[in-house]
Amino acid sequence: MNYDASLWLIFILIGLATTLPRASFIVLGNRVVLPSVLQRALRYAPAAVLAAIVVPDVLVVGGTLEVFNPKLAAAIVAVAAASLSRNPWLPFIGGMAALLGIRFLSG
Amino acid sequence: MKFVTKILSPAFLSGAREGFHAFLPLSVGLVPWALVMGMAMVSSGFSPLQAMGMNIIVFAGTAQLGTLPLIAADAPVWLIITTALALNLRFVIFSAAIAPGFRGIGTPGRWLAGHVLTDGVFATCLDKLLRVDDPAWRLGYYLAPALWAWILWQVFALTGIYAAGLIPKSWSLEFMATIALITLLVPMAKVRPMLIAALVGGASATLLRNMPLRLGVVVGICAGIAAGFAAEHWEGKRSQP
Repeated sequence: MNYDASLWLIFILIGLATTLPRASFIVLGNRVVLPSVLQRALRYAPAAVLAAIVVPDVLVVGGTLEVFNPKLAAAIVAVAAASLSRNPWLPFIGGMAALLGIRFLSG
Repeated sequence: MKFVTKILSPAFLSGAREGFHAFLPLSVGLVPWALVMGMAMVSSGFSPLQAMGMNIIVFAGTAQLGTLPLIAADAPVWLIITTALALNLRFVIFSAAIAPGFRGIGTPGRWLAGHVLTDGVFATCLDKLLRVDDPAWRLGYYLAPALWAWILWQVFALTGIYAAGLIPKSWSLEFMATIALITLLVPMAKVRPMLIAALVGGASATLLRNMPLRLGVVVGICAGIAAGFAAEHWEGKRSQP
């Protein structure tokens, strides 16, 4: 498939749709102050966001909910490694080993 | 000139060193993502120049991967942009949460900081940016990992563009990105309201995964935040005699 020059315009528009949300409050700074209740609530944003990305990723296989799947087993190994060990590489080694090992054993 | 004097100060360097070390293990998770991204752009029919153009102009894994199929299907521009905005909505929340960390830093530095704001850098830097006083130290602590992520993203996307077809898909290297997010989440979830925010956020996003434009993720995030906040209130009330 070939694309014409308008592809670059699309890139720029997607780039704006990325940089503007990211820069929004950082650039506005003190000109817009969020109410303190909202600021306190936003402390929970990182945990909620990470879980909202990770949990569907490890529980959903091809669009359907599957509680027993290699990805969930690998995630459990990664969680255990991250909470029990201080070695930062162990979750990656353990998680990938579990994922590929289980897939290999189950054919 | 203030931006330049900050970058040249010893405090910037010491912040940069600490931020880089805090982020280094996590940044491993970007490598497979970037490789996959490069391969995906090539398989959508982009030339290497077009693929790297998108990678540099956009610099956002989810927004890039999410809009690729639409671009390839010749979808209307408004739909492509709406999709990108929905995928990036979480960054408005990140931006608001991390904004106080840029007090004492000028507008050019803030635009740069905004452009390179990513999930991993946000989660790594938030805590110290809010607590440390020296603006030059904070700028270093933020920009070093953020620019490191940028470099990794470009280098490994380029590798992916040329290596497309060499790494077997069955290796599922993209799962390393999920593991990276898990290693960020685990230390946070040791406080009970945070754990509740994560559980509710994860469960709602999973149940609402079929909402259009991946809006289920946004709804899940809001539900998780509300649940964490409610749990904090409830714990505070219970601990009072």
